[in-house]
Amino acid sequence: MNNVIREMWMLGRNRASLAALVLLAVFAAAGVAIGLANVARDSAMIERMLAGQPAEEQAVAGFVEDAGYGAYYGFQPVWDPPSDLAFAALGNRDIAPAILRVRSLSLEAQLYENESANPELSLAGRFDLVFITIYIAPLVLIALLHDVWSGEREAGRLFMLSSLPGARRRLWAVRIAVRIAGVLAALLIPFAVGAILAGTALPRMLAFGGLIMLACLFWSVVILLVARRGASSVVNAATLASIWFALTLVVPAAANLAINASVPVPDGAELARENREFVHGAWDRPREQTMDAFLALYPQHAAGSALPPTFHYKWYFAFQHLGDLHVAEQSQAYRDGIAGRAAYARAAGWLLPPAGIAQAMTALAGTDVTAQLEFQQRIRAYHTRLREYYYDYLFSERPFDVSILANVPRFDPADDGDAGAD
Amino acid sequence: MRLVWTIAGAELRLMLRSRLALVGVVTLLLLSAIAAVTSAVQMAETAQARAQAQIETDEQFKAQPNRHPHRMVHYGTYALRPVGPLAAFDPGVDSFTGTVVFLEGHRQNSATFGAARESSDLLRFGQLTPAFVLQTLAPLLLIFLGFAGVARERERGSLRALAAHGASARSILGGKAMALGVVALLALAPALVALGWAAVRQPHEGGIALVIALAYAGYLAAWVLGIVAVSGIARTSQGALIALIAAWALIVVLVPRAAAGIAGVADPLPSRVDTELAIAADLRRIGDSHNANDPHFAAFKTKLLKQYGVTRTEDLPFNYRGALAQEGERITSQLFKDYAARADVIRQRQSGWLGWAGVLSPALSVRDASMVGAATDLTTHTAFMNAAEAYRFDLVQRLNGLQATAVSGTDDAARSKDPLADQRTRISADFWKTMPEFEFNAPSASARMTAMVPSLLLLGLWIALAFGVLGWAARRLERHGA
Amino acid sequence: MQVTDFTLAVENLVVDRGNRRIVDGLSLSLAPGEIYALLGGNGAGKSTTLFAILGFLPFSSGTLTVCGHDPRTKPDAVRASVAYLPENVALYDHLTARENVEYFLKVADCPRSRADIEQAFESVSLAATAWDQRAGRFSKGMRQKTAIALALLRQTPLLLLDEPTSGLDPAASADFHGLLEALSARGVSILMVTHDLLGAADTADRIGLIAGGRIADEWRAQESGPRFDLNILHDGFAGVK
Repeated sequence: MNNVIREMWMLGRNRASLAALVLLAVFAAAGVAIGLANVARDSAMIERMLAGQPAEEQAVAGFVEDAGYGAYYGFQPVWDPPSDLAFAALGNRDIAPAILRVRSLSLEAQLYENESANPELSLAGRFDLVFITIYIAPLVLIALLHDVWSGEREAGRLFMLSSLPGARRRLWAVRIAVRIAGVLAALLIPFAVGAILAGTALPRMLAFGGLIMLACLFWSVVILLVARRGASSVVNAATLASIWFALTLVVPAAANLAINASVPVPDGAELARENREFVHGAWDRPREQTMDAFLALYPQHAAGSALPPTFHYKWYFAFQHLGDLHVAEQSQAYRDGIAGRAAYARAAGWLLPPAGIAQAMTALAGTDVTAQLEFQQRIRAYHTRLREYYYDYLFSERPFDVSILANVPRFDPADDGDAGAD
Repeated sequence: MRLVWTIAGAELRLMLRSRLALVGVVTLLLLSAIAAVTSAVQMAETAQARAQAQIETDEQFKAQPNRHPHRMVHYGTYALRPVGPLAAFDPGVDSFTGTVVFLEGHRQNSATFGAARESSDLLRFGQLTPAFVLQTLAPLLLIFLGFAGVARERERGSLRALAAHGASARSILGGKAMALGVVALLALAPALVALGWAAVRQPHEGGIALVIALAYAGYLAAWVLGIVAVSGIARTSQGALIALIAAWALIVVLVPRAAAGIAGVADPLPSRVDTELAIAADLRRIGDSHNANDPHFAAFKTKLLKQYGVTRTEDLPFNYRGALAQEGERITSQLFKDYAARADVIRQRQSGWLGWAGVLSPALSVRDASMVGAATDLTTHTAFMNAAEAYRFDLVQRLNGLQATAVSGTDDAARSKDPLADQRTRISADFWKTMPEFEFNAPSASARMTAMVPSLLLLGLWIALAFGVLGWAARRLERHGA
Repeated sequence: MQVTDFTLAVENLVVDRGNRRIVDGLSLSLAPGEIYALLGGNGAGKSTTLFAILGFLPFSSGTLTVCGHDPRTKPDAVRASVAYLPENVALYDHLTARENVEYFLKVADCPRSRADIEQAFESVSLAATAWDQRAGRFSKGMRQKTAIALALLRQTPLLLLDEPTSGLDPAASADFHGLLEALSARGVSILMVTHDLLGAADTADRIGLIAGGRIADEWRAQESGPRFDLNILHDGFAGVK
């Protein structure tokens, strides 16, 4: 303990080191604060959407006269609430929308809407705790540890220090541990405060804290291996900065390029157009063709499927759904493409520990590409429930009643998307 | 001046003999070349794909069969954002915005399908493009090659020897800066070739490409001067390296992200749903076309009847439903425009934060100048969205006009009950061929050049500052001796 | 005398660095209170011998014990018995003399009171005004005095000195030798590696001349008259150079 206090005192006497640690803590705190503010903004956005929904439904109920009409105007909110760790790992939440309003029309035409974000703000990447841990903390660790031995040698103190009994155990181990602990404290204390404010579940908090420690541990090992080789401080600093720069900037950027090139993602715009062609083409196709295809999927509605000679929503919603099915394969390929890229990126994460840890952090926080795709699956599942609810009324020809609109199934963000996905 | 060249020559010879320096330069040139080639190939493919998609979309629209014009309002069309003329050099926000907008009646859709959402989330730091190499990687290379320039001589005592031989601090620092400047030029080369190639293929972009090149040259010049100054001030080369890497991390990595993070939180944008709900509420207030007794539409009807001196809409010389659709579209479109304008103002303010953060980070200034020049910035995207909305409104109103003039009011009224009347409301497919096609031109080179001025001024300020620091370092060196 | 009675006992020491044999069969021993000066040219193996004693360098053969401990197997026991002063004593520039000494003592797990430290400063005649001054401003002599104060405070039976008087002015040098004699009187054994023939002749009880990695010649101080015959010393020294 005395050794720890001694080295803490020593660290405290070094103004540059202290300043680096204080700055790191300030940045980490700023990252947490910005993260919390982003999460609060997302939550408020969801709240506003849900608060505005009754007025919308009331207005629709005011003029709707049948279930089909109700389904046509019946937008329902779906949302992806920020997890209790989203504040620390904002991930892709700035480019993938967290809220959407969907209706029983063809989903493929609704699912890919974007949020109205400012792309110039997304361009630089997020300022959150992941960023501080993955990019900034290693630089501080490098600054504190690259010359742990070479600095003493260059100052001429190395042999006098090493000649003291128990130097390895009492001096070097403790000195290194105290410096690493300083960096960890600068990261973990702001994180813990943020986690308490965000009400993070303790096991998840510990897991995320563990990832922060893992990142620091990885870099500490790299730094100490380099520092141990016996080169001068300058060479150590330059070597380590190059390693940092390769591992966090250059190789990921190149890997990204390679992954995007090797895993093609089908053109989304073409998918959307294909969907539109099929849906609108239905107006010019024999209606029986549409109904037959639909009833093959929903034989239970065959009894009530007779169409009047004029427009009926049964037919309308039938071809909307067939439009989704028409591009189902393409849509799956689009999803698979994105998931495939994410899988490659995860594989690359094993070779690039900083990237791997960052991915683990966003995965834990549910803000990664996978979470984005899962949200889409939940929307699909909900959309299925929503339109099937209306099919029951459309095909049974039950007399219209406004309560039909009020009793519509609601989205539950906690629902597992896989259960009902088509 | 001859002394400056001598010192610069000696420094360059030293770099040539240093394995570390050579590896650094070769790595950067390699990365730069890979970035230039892949970016050019990728952007050419993207440009081709989008142009092709726009042609196909237009053809599909024109190939639609006889239809009721309102069906065409819902069939709609797509606007694809063309790839900017210099996007291969700096794709800017291209991948962070959607690239396709579905244009239909009554609704304003967002731009969908951006590359960022389709990308692996492998450390979103920057795409490997020539602009990224120059903004981010080149300064780091200059730091690695330049940090020891003066500090090394001080440590070895050769600085004193130089001074003893009559070399002034100015000529020592000038020589070191000159040598590092040569490296900077070398680092610029592949990107300049990429820029030049783009300019050759699009000669009207030549002027702006030159300004962009100058902006990057100025940015790297500021780094060169700053690096030499720090090397001249620091007591040890280790101190110089640590200070410079810290400065790089702040300027290139930290400030841009922090500024964006703060801007997004301090001046939040309303969500799309916020806007949808607000517009729906406004519509209910201004004029609700679903409500038969809506005062606005009642007044609209009265005015029309009075204007044509008739008492029933059936007696109007045109299909009243078409006119009604036009009026409805006019109102919604006005709201779309108003809300979009408000959001644009917020986005501009947010980007304004980034502009001001250029005071802390020249990397932000050069990034802005580069994106604006390459027409891959927010302003260009906003212009595209506004052009798409204007086109949407025009197209829908033309189609509504066709409903008013080419579809009989009686048939239109009866079409939901009478299949034969429904058949008659389907007007000739030839009409679709008369519709204009969507076209978007990036802001003109001169407009972009004007928009680059604030960032260029900030860069100028940074260069002046770097010169100032270098001058101070020279005086300090002169005063304290080596 | 038993081997273990010697503070330092070196027998047929062989140390290789890479392919080069630096120390080749060196033997020497120091009784308590004995001052031994090791003279030799550059690259004769003086510093290597010191490093082997401190356990920084492993030795290939021979025996080496400090107070009976082998530095290869018990480096910490050896280092607890040795105080080492490098040629250029370097302190933490941003700490005061007092803070430096306190820090090094704590690393050595050898706490001393404030009074003890001040007494040590006094005994090495470090000016009281310097005690709380940052070491960054110290002259070489002041740094050396601070380090000797540290060595005194550690109260080790063996003191290893690497070129202790190089760069000291004659007055400081004389002070320094006085101090060594006082230490020796308290029973501390001192091994110093030096170029300084006159200084060595002044204080050492024995002088060894190292050449080719072994003791080529050794002289013992006379009980009466001049301690050493400077001519012989000088010739011996010049001979190996």
